[in-house]
Amino acid sequence: MKKILIVDDEQDIVESLKFVLESADYICYCAYNGEDGLKLAKEIIPDLIILDVMMPKINGYKISRLLKYDNKYKNIPIFMITARSQEGDKLIGEETGANEYITKPFDLSEVVQKVKQYLEE
Amino acid sequence: MGNILFISDRLEKIQQYTNIFNRKPYNFTVVSDENVILETAELNSPDVIILDYKFNNIKKNIKNLKSIYNSTAFVLLTPSQGLEQDLTKYINAFITEDLSEDLVLSTINVNLRTKQSLEQLSATNKNLADSLYRLNVLYSTSSQFAGSLDKEKLVDYMIEGLDKSLSFDLTCTLAFCTDTEPVLILNSLYELSEELVSAIKLRTILNYKSLFENKTPPFEIDIEKLKVIKTVKYPANRFTFNLFQYDNMFAPISLGDNFFGCIEIFKETPFTSDDATCFQTIAQQVSLPLKSATLYQEIMETNLKLEKLERLKSEFISIVSHELRTPLTAIKNSLDILSSGRCGDLNEAGNKFLAMAQRNVQRLSGIINDLLDLSKIEAGKMDYHFTNMNIHSVIEYVKFALSGVAREKGLNLIAEETANLPEIYADSQRLEQVLTNLVSNAIKFTPEGKNIIIRSHIARAEQLKAPDCFKDDIKKLNGEYIVVCVEDEGIGIAEKDLLRAFDKFAQIENSLSRKIGGSGLGLPIAKQLLEAHNGTIWCDSELNKGSRFYFAIPVSKVPSKMEVSVN
Repeated sequence: MKKILIVDDEQDIVESLKFVLESADYICYCAYNGEDGLKLAKEIIPDLIILDVMMPKINGYKISRLLKYDNKYKNIPIFMITARSQEGDKLIGEETGANEYITKPFDLSEVVQKVKQYLEE
Repeated sequence: MGNILFISDRLEKIQQYTNIFNRKPYNFTVVSDENVILETAELNSPDVIILDYKFNNIKKNIKNLKSIYNSTAFVLLTPSQGLEQDLTKYINAFITEDLSEDLVLSTINVNLRTKQSLEQLSATNKNLADSLYRLNVLYSTSSQFAGSLDKEKLVDYMIEGLDKSLSFDLTCTLAFCTDTEPVLILNSLYELSEELVSAIKLRTILNYKSLFENKTPPFEIDIEKLKVIKTVKYPANRFTFNLFQYDNMFAPISLGDNFFGCIEIFKETPFTSDDATCFQTIAQQVSLPLKSATLYQEIMETNLKLEKLERLKSEFISIVSHELRTPLTAIKNSLDILSSGRCGDLNEAGNKFLAMAQRNVQRLSGIINDLLDLSKIEAGKMDYHFTNMNIHSVIEYVKFALSGVAREKGLNLIAEETANLPEIYADSQRLEQVLTNLVSNAIKFTPEGKNIIIRSHIARAEQLKAPDCFKDDIKKLNGEYIVVCVEDEGIGIAEKDLLRAFDKFAQIENSLSRKIGGSGLGLPIAKQLLEAHNGTIWCDSELNKGSRFYFAIPVSKVPSKMEVSVN
């Protein structure tokens, strides 16, 4: 079974993502701040990471950049969640290395579909 | 009447002429020694020089004197007959030896009067030249005044104008307008010692206070804190306290109730009444532009404040909207999970309310998106991706996206397009947003069983017809346009409300839109998006018959393959 790491300081969002992804037969690990997220990513080496941009201390950009510049983790697909619709271009365009971006409010079934695209290729 | 220098070494002649001229109004001086001619002449500053032809080296002496006393009349005492011809060119008049006393007197008098008239003429000429120069200075200073709204520059121009017209030794300008604090601007010919500057400071403050004898001055000045800006032309020399014995003039710089400062000016030589007029004129002239500059500054400051407020408002909306999105996402996700059936089935009423909650989440997120769009447009942060494109694709997209919704409501959504329309240079996503909005509105406001038609055609700006309230927008257009029209058979809009439909939040006050939904921001956003395309939007409508919403986008002039992104 594929492992997915969800990092967001909004517990309710994590909860709902976890629920639908587990229903789709993925194993979910959750972190509620950037620091824990980064630690957990290195520990479990997930198959995909869903990352919120706006988090205190280490934000999503930073985590993404740290992982994408590390040979060990650079192949893990990263989905970024943002509340700013126009930020998507920036996320992909700048050197954060994110693979996809999801704008709040997002559609859970679409997220599951996108995850499947990345993990079942 | 005049100074007469008599040059002769013949005693009898000296005697004779002394008898004639040694009385008032003449000032008669005799020189007999060739070696002291120039010194004596200098003391006498002669109006007329009478020379004896018998005098030594007469020719040489005349030449020497002529080179110094160019405007003096030279009279030669000559023999009765026979005169050296080449002397005539230096000589203004001749007196023969045998001439009677009366005739000698009258000859000299004529020459004295001529000399005086010439002097007067040249003095008048000089005055005229001075006045002309001063007028020129005043003219150029007042043009400088008229051309500037910068208070510091205005004060500089004033001092510059005074320098040119009056050539002062020192000006002390106390200015209340060039800084937040009063400033003492000193423009000095020579260096001023610290003690002298302190004395000038005190003097200026006293002068200033004397302007408001019975009233309180508009500003309290602390002598310790008064800022001094000093410009010295020749710093190698120094002024002493003697400066205060120089001639001086003082004037306030004010207009009505507006007080901008005062100025005192010092000069070693006395000022004339013309100088005083000139000084007053310049000091008065600068007041008007200073007032304009003050008003201009106030307007600019207010504008800046307004701009800042506007930006704050946009930022506020943007931040609030982002903050709203996160809880909204959590609600939406929860509702989606509930409706997916993964938490068990709900009964009929449960499903109904769940659907209601989902519908309203959708609506709320639409409103938040509109608010964000509008704040982005107003903050100038909206990104546009312009390409050469065909309007056809936009119409197709919107028809495809909304035909389902239309069908559900029992409406016919028809696209009547003109074939082979030229390309436009536009952001297709933004045009889709505009057309989606227009068609959604039409769907909202049209009762069951009726038609909604999307039309498109090409038209020249002058062919476009719109109700009077949109005339100004239409007038701005010129050239060829692709016009898209969304026609419905809905409730319509009263003519007086047409323009209001494009106002921000206008519909929020309207009970109907509250019943039907929407932020009321769709049309204002559409208007702004179209303006970013150099296009426009308008509508005409008849109550209870239906509305036609039009938008026009200019036909692209140069077909280009490059995709350009414009902020």
